[in-house]
Amino acid sequence: MATVTSHRPSPTVSGTPGGTRKRNKAMSYNWLGGGLSWVWLFVVMLPIYWIVITSFKTQANYFITNPLAPPSELTFENYKTVIESDIVRYFINSVIVTVGAVIPAVAVSFMAAYAIVRGSNSRILRGMNWVFLMGLAIPLQAVIIPVYLIIIRLQMYDTLAAIILPSIAFAIPLSVLVLSNFIRDVPKELFESMRMDGASEWGTMWRLAFPLTRPALVTVTIYNGLGIWNGFLLPLVLTQSPDQRTVPLALATFSGQFGVNVPAIAASVTLTTLPIVLLYAIGRRQLLSGLTAGFSK
Amino acid sequence: MTNNPISRRNFLGLAAGAAGAAALAACGSSGPSNSGGGSTGGGGGAASYWSLSGPPGEPYRQAAIDRFNKANPDSKITPTFFQNDAYKQKIKTALGANQGPTMIWGWGGGGLKEYVNSNQVEDLTDWLAQNAAVKDKILSSSFGAGTVNNKVYALPVETVQPIVLFYNKEAFSKIGAEPPKSWGEIMSLVPKFNAQKIAPFSLAGQSRWTNMMWLEFLLDRTAGSEVFDRVFAGEKDAWSDPAVLDMLQKVQDLVKANGFIKGFSSIAADSNADQALLYTGKAAMMVHGSWSYGIQKEQGGNFVKDGKLGWMNFPPVEGGKGDPTNTVGNPGQYLSISSKATAEAKETAKKFFSTTLVDDEEKAGWVKSGGVPVLKGAESLFTGDDAQFLKDMAGIANGAKTFAQSWDQALSPTAAETLLDNIAKLFQLQVSPQQWVDAMNGVIGK
Amino acid sequence: MTTIAPPVVRTKEPSRSSGGRSGSVLWMALPAFVWFVIFGIVPLLGVLALSFTTWNGIGEIQPSGLDSWKATLTDPGLPHALWVTFLIMALSWAVQTPMSILIGVFLATSKRYREFLAVLFFIPLLLSSAAIAITYKALLDPNFGLGTGLGIELLNQDWLGNSTLAMATLIFIVSWQFIPFHSLIYQGAVRQIPTSMYEASQIDGAGRVRQFFSITLPQLKYTIITSSTLMVVGSLTFFDLIYVLTAGGPGDATRALALLMYQQGFQANLMGPASAIAVILVLVGLGLSLLLRRLGGRGDESQLEGA
Repeated sequence: MATVTSHRPSPTVSGTPGGTRKRNKAMSYNWLGGGLSWVWLFVVMLPIYWIVITSFKTQANYFITNPLAPPSELTFENYKTVIESDIVRYFINSVIVTVGAVIPAVAVSFMAAYAIVRGSNSRILRGMNWVFLMGLAIPLQAVIIPVYLIIIRLQMYDTLAAIILPSIAFAIPLSVLVLSNFIRDVPKELFESMRMDGASEWGTMWRLAFPLTRPALVTVTIYNGLGIWNGFLLPLVLTQSPDQRTVPLALATFSGQFGVNVPAIAASVTLTTLPIVLLYAIGRRQLLSGLTAGFSK
Repeated sequence: MTNNPISRRNFLGLAAGAAGAAALAACGSSGPSNSGGGSTGGGGGAASYWSLSGPPGEPYRQAAIDRFNKANPDSKITPTFFQNDAYKQKIKTALGANQGPTMIWGWGGGGLKEYVNSNQVEDLTDWLAQNAAVKDKILSSSFGAGTVNNKVYALPVETVQPIVLFYNKEAFSKIGAEPPKSWGEIMSLVPKFNAQKIAPFSLAGQSRWTNMMWLEFLLDRTAGSEVFDRVFAGEKDAWSDPAVLDMLQKVQDLVKANGFIKGFSSIAADSNADQALLYTGKAAMMVHGSWSYGIQKEQGGNFVKDGKLGWMNFPPVEGGKGDPTNTVGNPGQYLSISSKATAEAKETAKKFFSTTLVDDEEKAGWVKSGGVPVLKGAESLFTGDDAQFLKDMAGIANGAKTFAQSWDQALSPTAAETLLDNIAKLFQLQVSPQQWVDAMNGVIGK
Repeated sequence: MTTIAPPVVRTKEPSRSSGGRSGSVLWMALPAFVWFVIFGIVPLLGVLALSFTTWNGIGEIQPSGLDSWKATLTDPGLPHALWVTFLIMALSWAVQTPMSILIGVFLATSKRYREFLAVLFFIPLLLSSAAIAITYKALLDPNFGLGTGLGIELLNQDWLGNSTLAMATLIFIVSWQFIPFHSLIYQGAVRQIPTSMYEASQIDGAGRVRQFFSITLPQLKYTIITSSTLMVVGSLTFFDLIYVLTAGGPGDATRALALLMYQQGFQANLMGPASAIAVILVLVGLGLSLLLRRLGGRGDESQLEGA
């Protein structure tokens, strides 16, 4: 098994991914999981359905009609309002912030996790690990004012970078924890054999640890990505001009002083969620193969 | 540590400075500028203005800024609008970091007092004395909530919003009853409506401040405005008044008699579901701010147009000492000038205050928004469908012997939080009136 | 890599021999460390310092020694908030984990319709807390909500107004949002289990249930730990949804630690006590993560690190 650098190490000689998928055919239907999944589908879809139909209702008949009945007359007024409010721009901003924060966050976290596992004899690295662990539960609300001041000193207030920089920092602790747990499970013999082949730590990290940690990398990427995508406080405090707004902030613009324009919010939620759902539908196979690479986790 | 207060900037600068990174150190102790959080306009008299977004106010706020900027091209005002809850968070963080705007929009009262105690806002008393014409244009009853320790720190702007009792005329004709003229009549209406499967009162109990309006009226009607004045003044054990216990008991009696719609604690005001209950006829009455009229008109189909919506001041309580003309609510919205702003920006703000904010277009705009302006002499502008409502609201606001500010706005943020918390528990019947009084006495003056 | 058994059987000695090269990996941890110190630790130190002061959030900061700590530690709201936090953590874990595993196992086969299911399951993850709260508040409205829509009176409960129901509702909504994510992780992990293990046990006559407990579950051990870590640690700072959904209510039934901190600091303007609560929160998080690592059967590493 010196050829572990293969990007898709198969767990067993016979256990090709194709074979893995076929196994359930040999068995009876999984009634418990199946039943649960269908029930859960209903539970998941009911609110989604509500959002979609509400987005086609006018605010005037929102309370008058049955909440679960499709509107008798479709209105696209809400979508018009939402698009006119520059939602496309907010969506692009959200994409920039999310991608711009998640990729560096996961990259530096992965490097740190690798170092912490490989250098577990170093006092300095153990200390660093403690610092990361301490950061797991920092409530963002509590530290927002110092973060705000730091951003102002860096002269980044009201830029997308102002959201990206702290977002990276706050994604690090949990990413390091999850990734280092994974790297720890890479059998030590593999590191040894890499070393004997003369690989540097840098090379070992990318050629051995990286492919083997792919499921965890995908996991923390999605987890952090969703958190940043839906983040409200950092964009609110660290930006100001409408040009720099992200999607969650834009939702707030449909709330007035005395009430919320529910159909408009439903429309903007539908509009901003749809592209990502499509992207996910297309990229799902890649995502799943990312989750299934590596060794027997 | 010394006993001297540390300046906030030094303190938090210490935190930021501790980063030690050379890049940060370069900025050193000079600290951030005070020109206002990111106010980009660099011009001499440029000023920033933060306020609330969305209907009904934003278009009229924007219009005022536009008018001013057109007339004063050299000293522009840059507005930024935030959603209600977002604004509260944003302004607090900005002021905490010394990055507030030139003009701070607010609700007056306890929140303003906190700004004053922290030296965040300008004293406008002398300026108003010199500009008596400005002061004369604004309803004098609106100045109270902008005044702290007999000094004016905020200019009343926008609209007066008394809280009134709205009712559905159809629901009343269904049970053949008249709108209540007293507390006793309210209590006797409750079983009648319940028998017809109409909830007597709509209430968005989840939002807490909606419940508070009941306490405000009931205390005023039973004991007059003096009891709360003593609380406001920070008198020890001021809540320990028999009238308070009596009022709290009345509230719980009404809850126990199913006076409020079933599940009211799950209803939130922000989606206007409480108002929908009234215009869909599921509830007969509702105590709510005057702004609810515009919402019902917009969302309730023909409910308002067909004259099915009724309104009145909260009725008196039998044997109560309070003046039945008294009302509660928002005597205005308030605009303060940041004490940290540059002299030029302050000048611009004052110019804005003395010209645009008191001009006729401003007055007409707020009438058009469906509100009663804080500016005098608006009665002649009340025309069209809403004339009667606006006349009645102006009548209630101007005819009130006392126009008390909502408690949660009047009290300090610390006390207001405890108040709202305990009011929710009171309506849940989780605390007894005595427990309520004890809890509230604990935060008097805090 | 040919081993079929879980990788716990690995030998220990290599970990000792590989440790001598820490110098060459140290720099790799630096970017994350520096970044985190600037935006995480420095503000955190500020919070620690603030916990020894009195500050309303806008005025002057007054040093006040242990006043804030005394006020915080004697406040009956604190143990209650700790209890609520624990309850949310434990209940949401107990609901989400078995469901995510079952759904993940079911979705692991590559039938077309199951892939379609998985796409639909993904949607709740993309919604912000504000959107979720608005949706559920509308559906749970006792007069205009789900019960009325479906004509089922039973569903017109006081969902957010009754203490027990509000907690249950909150757990449900958290699960609604995050079960899809965790079942996605499990789905990936289940596909990873070698088919030969099932084939072997099938020859032995093991049924589906026995296979689940003797093969699937043990093989998912590390995935369970990862997913639990995300759930448990995530629930500590879980704030947005509670804030917009119940604001801690009714009364204080859903007032978790993070929410208590927010209300003290940003609503009641008591930044000192709020900072003390924040410090407590950080300590709880640290303790939990150490506990999780021990539960994860990593005693050897913890000893090595002199924990």
